[in-house]
Amino acid sequence: MTHQPTIRFGRLCAALAVLLVLPFVAPNYVIHVANFVLIMTLPVIGLGFITGFTGRVSLSQGAIFGVGAYVTALLTTKLGWSPLATFAPAVLGAITVGTALGGPAMRLAGLYFVMATIGIQQIVWIVLLNAVEFTGGPQGVRSIPAVGVGGFEIDSTFSFYFLALAMATASYMLAKRIIASRMGLRLRAISDDELASSAVAIDVTRNKVLALVLCSGWAGAGGFLYAHYVRYIHPDMFTLEPSILLLTMSMFGGYRSLEGMLVATAILESATEYLRPFGEFRMIAYGMLLLLGMMFFPKGVLSLFPRRSPKPAQLVKERTSDA
Amino acid sequence: METTGSVGMLLQILIGGIATGSIYAVVGLGFTLLYRAMKMVNFAQGHVFMAGTFLGLIIANRFALPAIPLLLIVMVLAFLIGVVLERIVFRRLYHDHDVFIVGAIGLGIVLMNTVRVFFPEPVPFPKVFGERLVEFGGARFQEAYLWVIGCTVVLVALLHSFFTYTRHGRAMRAVASDAEIAGTVGVNVPRAIAHIFGLTFAVAAGAGVLIGPLYFVSFDMGDMVGLKAFAAAVLGGINSVPGTILGGIAIGLLENLAGTYISSAYKDLVAFVILLAMLVFRPNGLLGTSTPVKV
Repeated sequence: MTHQPTIRFGRLCAALAVLLVLPFVAPNYVIHVANFVLIMTLPVIGLGFITGFTGRVSLSQGAIFGVGAYVTALLTTKLGWSPLATFAPAVLGAITVGTALGGPAMRLAGLYFVMATIGIQQIVWIVLLNAVEFTGGPQGVRSIPAVGVGGFEIDSTFSFYFLALAMATASYMLAKRIIASRMGLRLRAISDDELASSAVAIDVTRNKVLALVLCSGWAGAGGFLYAHYVRYIHPDMFTLEPSILLLTMSMFGGYRSLEGMLVATAILESATEYLRPFGEFRMIAYGMLLLLGMMFFPKGVLSLFPRRSPKPAQLVKERTSDA
Repeated sequence: METTGSVGMLLQILIGGIATGSIYAVVGLGFTLLYRAMKMVNFAQGHVFMAGTFLGLIIANRFALPAIPLLLIVMVLAFLIGVVLERIVFRRLYHDHDVFIVGAIGLGIVLMNTVRVFFPEPVPFPKVFGERLVEFGGARFQEAYLWVIGCTVVLVALLHSFFTYTRHGRAMRAVASDAEIAGTVGVNVPRAIAHIFGLTFAVAAGAGVLIGPLYFVSFDMGDMVGLKAFAAAVLGGINSVPGTILGGIAIGLLENLAGTYISSAYKDLVAFVILLAMLVFRPNGLLGTSTPVKV
C-alpha cells in the first residue's frame, strides 16, 4: 500500500463533479445516506493519522467524535450560541479530551495502546451517560439547531449535502497537505521505525502526540457536523460500536491510503444504513462483515486491486517480514 | 434490610464484591490464557460468557439438572465449540493483533445478535443454586453468592493442577512460552492452541452459568462483563494467572465499594479508570512479568 502524498487534481475534480451532480439526480434517501458517509469521512481521516502514520490502532474515535457532537449541542441548546461559532469549541473540546486521556497512552506500543483506548472509550461514554445535569444523561440532547450561513438555514437533507461535501473535501485536502509536509514525513518515518527515526533527531513522543491531536481534531469536526445533521444526540450513539466501525473503515481502506479509507467508508457506512430495516439481522450481517472481512482481506479491500509495481524498498520489507 | 448494621452492610458489600470479582476473574482468565499463548486479545470473550449463560438456560429449561452437572455439561460443550471455532475462524485471524481484534469483535457482535433473535427480552434463569438467604455476621445474601465464590476457587485449583501436573497442561505451557521450541520437542502446537481456545471458552461459559441465577439474563450482558474482566486481567498482569484472579477480585470489590460509598452512577467507571491508569503507569500489571511494551 504505497502512499501518494500529492493530490491528483484531475481525479479529485472528476470525483467532485460526480458528487456535485449526485444530489440533483438521486432520490432523497440516497442523499441522506451520502450525508452520513460524508460526515464519517472526517473521523475516519482523523483515524488515518493514528493508524496509518504512527502504526497504532485506536478504539476511542467514536467517543471523541461524541465529545465534538456534545460540545456543539450543549453550546447551541443551553447557551444559545450560533452553530457556526461552536465549530472551533467542538474541535478544541475533542482535542482536549482526546489528548488529555490518550496522550499518556501514546507511548504504549501496539496491543497495549488498543487496550488503553478501549478504557478511554468506556470512560467518555459512561461520563456522557451519567453526568445528567451537564449532558442530559440518557435523555440525550434534543432540538439542536441547524447550521445557518448568512440567514440561510441548512436544515434540509439536500442543502446539508453541500455543507458536508465542502467539509469533507476541505478535510481531505488539508489532510493530504499535512501528510505531504515535513510533519507528515516525520510521522511516516515513525510508523516505519521508531528507533531509527529517533536516531535522526525526530522527537518521537512529540510527533505521536501531534498525530493524536490531529486525529481528535478531525473527530471533533465530524461530531460537529453529525450533531447539526441528526439534530438529536444520545450517549448510546457514541459507544464502542461506532468506534469499531470507524476503525474498520480505516482498516478496510488499507493503511496509508486516504483514498482507500474514503472508499471503505462509503461502502461500509452505506451498507450499515441500507441494512437498517433488518433490525437485529442487520447487526448479524454487520458482525459477519467484520469477521469475514478480517478473515479474508486482512490488508484492506483495496488490496484486491494490487498496485502496478511495488517499490523495491517495500518488496524487501515484505520479504523480510515474511521470513 | 433492618437487621444489618454498618458492619453487616460492609460485609454484605464485600461478599457481593468478591462474588462479582470472581466472575471477572474467571472470564478474565480467558484473556490471560490466550494472551500467554498467542499474544492476542479475544474481545468476543464477554459474548462467549453471555452465550454460555444462555446455553445453560436452554439446557436447564429442558432437563432439570442439579447445579454441578449443568456446569460441567455447559463447560464441555463450550470447550468443543471453542475448538471448532478456532479451527474455522480464529486460525484465519492470526496475521496481527489489529486484524484479530476486529475479527473477534465481529464474532462477538454475531454471537450477541444471534442470541437476541431468540431472546429479545431479559429472561429469568432457573435457580439452580437454591434460593435460600444466608445470614452471616449481620450480613444477608443469597446462597448463590457462596456458590459463585466456591466454584471459582475449585475451578482455579483444577486449572492450576491441570497446568502443573498433567502432561497436556505442561505442553500447553510450553507452547505459551515458546511455540517454536515446543514444536521441536514434539508438542502438537496447533492442537495445544485449539485446546487453549477451548479452555477460554469453557471458563467464560462456566462463569456465565454461575452468574445466571443471580440476575435476569439478557443478550447484552456480555459487553460490560467482558470489558471489565479484561480490565481485571490488565490490572493483575495480563500474562499472569494469579494476577488476573487478584485483579478480578480487586475490581469487583472496589466497584462495589465505590458504588455504595461514592456514587452508584459512576460504579462502572471504576474498572476503566483502573484499566487506563494501569496501562499508563504500570503496563505489566500488579503481578505480571516484564513485557517490553513501552517504546
